[in-house]
Amino acid sequence: MYNSLSTRRSFIKKMAKLSAMTAAASMFPGILFASEQEQGIPNGADLEWKKGPCRFCGVGCGILVGTENGKAVAVKGDPNSAVNKGLLCVKGYHQTMCIQSKDRLTHALVKKNGKYVQTPIQEALDIVANKMKETIDAHGKDSVAMYTSGQSTIPEGYVASKFMKGAIGTNNLDCNARLCMASAVTGFLTTFGADEPMGCYEDIDHADYFITWGNNMAEMHPVLFSRMLEQKSKRGAKIIDFATRTSRSSTASDRSILFEPQTDLAVANAICYEIINNGWVNNSFVEKHCNFSKGLTNIGYGVEDKFKFADKPEKIDFSAYKAFLKEYSPEKVAKYSGVSVKDIKYLASIYGDPNKKVVSYWCMGMNQHTRGTWMNNLVYNIHLLTGKISQPGNGPFSLTGQPSACGTAREVGTFTHKLPKGVVTNPKNRELAAKIWKVPVERIPSKPTYHATEMFRAVDRGDIKFIWTQVTNPLVSLPKTSRYRPGMEKKSCFVVVSDVFPTPTSDVADVILPASWHIEKSGLYGNSERRTQHWDKMVEGPGETTPDAWMTIQVAKRMGYGDLFPYSEENHVEEIYNEYRQFHEGAKHGMAPLEVLKKESGAIWPYVNGKSTQWRFNAKYDPACSNGEAFDFYGKPDGRAVIWQRPYEPPAESPDSEYPYWLNTGRVIEHWHTGSMTRRIPVLHKAMPSAYIEFHPDDAKALAIRNGEQIKVTSRRGSCVLPASINERGLPTKGQVFVPFFDENMLINDVTLDAFCPISKEPDYKKCAVKIEKV
Amino acid sequence: MKKRLGIISLFVMLFIAFITIWNFSYEKGMEEGYVPVLEESPNNSYIPAERGVFERSEFALEYSSMPVDKNHERSLDSYYDNRAYHGAPPSIPHPIKEEKSLGGNTCLQCHQNGGFVERLNAYAPVSPHPEMVNCRQCHVAQNSNTLFKPANLAQVHAPKVGVNNAMIGTPPMIPHQIQMRENCLACHAGPAAPKEIRVTHPERVNCRQCHLPTDRIVSEITPFTRTNSHKNE
Repeated sequence: MYNSLSTRRSFIKKMAKLSAMTAAASMFPGILFASEQEQGIPNGADLEWKKGPCRFCGVGCGILVGTENGKAVAVKGDPNSAVNKGLLCVKGYHQTMCIQSKDRLTHALVKKNGKYVQTPIQEALDIVANKMKETIDAHGKDSVAMYTSGQSTIPEGYVASKFMKGAIGTNNLDCNARLCMASAVTGFLTTFGADEPMGCYEDIDHADYFITWGNNMAEMHPVLFSRMLEQKSKRGAKIIDFATRTSRSSTASDRSILFEPQTDLAVANAICYEIINNGWVNNSFVEKHCNFSKGLTNIGYGVEDKFKFADKPEKIDFSAYKAFLKEYSPEKVAKYSGVSVKDIKYLASIYGDPNKKVVSYWCMGMNQHTRGTWMNNLVYNIHLLTGKISQPGNGPFSLTGQPSACGTAREVGTFTHKLPKGVVTNPKNRELAAKIWKVPVERIPSKPTYHATEMFRAVDRGDIKFIWTQVTNPLVSLPKTSRYRPGMEKKSCFVVVSDVFPTPTSDVADVILPASWHIEKSGLYGNSERRTQHWDKMVEGPGETTPDAWMTIQVAKRMGYGDLFPYSEENHVEEIYNEYRQFHEGAKHGMAPLEVLKKESGAIWPYVNGKSTQWRFNAKYDPACSNGEAFDFYGKPDGRAVIWQRPYEPPAESPDSEYPYWLNTGRVIEHWHTGSMTRRIPVLHKAMPSAYIEFHPDDAKALAIRNGEQIKVTSRRGSCVLPASINERGLPTKGQVFVPFFDENMLINDVTLDAFCPISKEPDYKKCAVKIEKV
Repeated sequence: MKKRLGIISLFVMLFIAFITIWNFSYEKGMEEGYVPVLEESPNNSYIPAERGVFERSEFALEYSSMPVDKNHERSLDSYYDNRAYHGAPPSIPHPIKEEKSLGGNTCLQCHQNGGFVERLNAYAPVSPHPEMVNCRQCHVAQNSNTLFKPANLAQVHAPKVGVNNAMIGTPPMIPHQIQMRENCLACHAGPAAPKEIRVTHPERVNCRQCHLPTDRIVSEITPFTRTNSHKNE
């Protein structure tokens, strides 16, 4: 629809028509006005506009990129996208400004005698393929690894999986989504047996209450937050912010409730206690659609190398669950959570009121948690007990961080244990993969190997001798980089880094491959609400920049796997997607065909008979429901979701006399993750030029710290110096400091702890103990 | 008799039910949004400097439906004329009713929520910081047009409208400091807002989702440089 809109006038006309159609067709008040759009475009601008998803964050806004003479010169919100309806955020509007950065990686660089030498890309790919082959010959298949990203496109993730698992035959493939979404995945799998949210963003238009769990949506999911604010002012919907830090979101909320780190586990159980105690349980729903289970307790924190854990689920009954909850009365929980009895009862009464529709939102606060899987289970418990799930305006909704954490990392499965459909441990799933990939089934190993943290531990130990990272910057984003940076610098491991800009990770590379940026290649992303989005290449990349998928294919071909990768350079994205779609055929996960995705601003899977399924597991909306009841949790063999008995357990490390403060880390609206792109966008850099350390004013006073003073923050792992920030962007609770992690010049992850959730293996970046000194 | 008693008791019951329901819904309606850090512990009474961002957002819908009164619009020129320099507190351009009084007693009567003032034939601008009531600590009156001694005051050019976007069509930047002016809607919406800077979409209250400050700190911000890099190019 957008492909050939070349004149401004016809574009605006069509946009106006489209927006009128969208406004009429949906319940949302249209945010777009044609006159407003027109205002922004100077006279004489003869721009060509193409649609795509935004490069940053998991919301997955539709963007329109305006190009002139082969250069991207304008970006605006796609009014036809049901996600954002024409609105973007500061990152979205200015995203293309980074492409022309002066230090863009335009050619391959190969380290020779300690110096990087510009090398023709074909030669660099030869070096990579030879080195990989040599390493496999000398040390076996499990000595090579690939570490990709939730920002990889679907085709990029798919060829990486096929290359590692199908061609080479190793499960040494993991991705940075392990650092952000793994707990959400294990939460979904343990409770529902099927990954990804049951609802969609349209829930916002129906809900009476939005409860955000440890989640600063105003900065991290700004477009969704604006949709919530709109409902707040137009319908009187209420936003309740439940967090450990007062943020921009808190100030916009109707109520902000603060809790002590880690006690969210106890508060969630206390809410269930109240719901049961007050008779707010939806008995018929629980009887028909739920089971009760418990798992192991005292499950550890994974801080030691080669940590292993497997949960042993055990069925229990409702009365045993009730007895377990006795420990979590609001009075008992209030003592250590810092949340008043009144506030706990208030939260419970919102969930318990059968006439109020409630959506729970969360992102890193609950996922980056040493009990992240449990925490996800506990919020599902609340929604299952009250039957507030899988209906418009009612449901738990796990937000993602990265633009294709769902589409690529979770659906294609670029994790060590995953296949495009199912897991490597399941023989049926391996057989399907072998059939579609046309490889012998024995080649796909049945045992998962390294998850992200363990992968870099293995590099440090010398077990992994070759690693290739794509679309990610682990030496800024991993926890405890103070160990993993020297680990990657070791001679024992050959490091290949594909990226767009130089980063601390490319600094330790032996070969740097120049990657195409987002709009310099075609691709597909999948966002939080199961929406698959396609875009066509919009501009040419500089120098010898190449799409990541094509570089993987080239290396595979050089290693002798050419017959498995029969794709053409011009059309590989389409060919790969069409092959990949075969994995998900059927009513439970069918993906929209490419023709639809090219035309529309994304489509939600399961895409059945030409229709997106907005609410899964609800027979009214989901054609995959087959048990004849109103709900069918078909991810589980008996169609029942699981209510888990999960206790409160303390964090891996708590403040003590030597390290008396909590350290919490996170993000800011201006910067995307490790800042390698957004810091090269001048306006974003000017708005947020460096990281900072936030104090509660009482703590600052006690330590005699003033705004802007240089502060050294130290943990048992390492230290970092940053300027103090008091009462600016956010306000941590007393005894806690907060640092955003985007700044590679102030590496806060040298300080953080690599403890993780034993079930999901996702690290906890939100809690460790530090001390504070003035420099 | 029995029948009548039955009817009366039915109505009594209905009446009681009505009172109960009415009370209940009244109580529910009283539920006000609040940020408990403020109310519950006075020692904890700090809120971020961003607090003002969402103030006045309860009027956002009214702002968006307000008709424009073309005859009494302010312009950006007159807005700047009333300031010693770009970013200075505006002076008070009208006669002052009550010299001894402050804040809520005088100034805020017009400047808290604005409105048309017959006597001055103008709309009162809304203060972005009504919680600071010692108005004349910063805002001076203009009681004379003459000078004690002329001076060579350096002229700093105030930012212009329409040249403030980083890319074609992107939202304009915030070209001024926002300390004490965190509440965007106070100056950018309503009938007293200068017409050049009146926002077309006041209902989208999360202003800083799209509009970036360019004037955040006073010192020069150098381009992004990698200070930790050990790469030799």
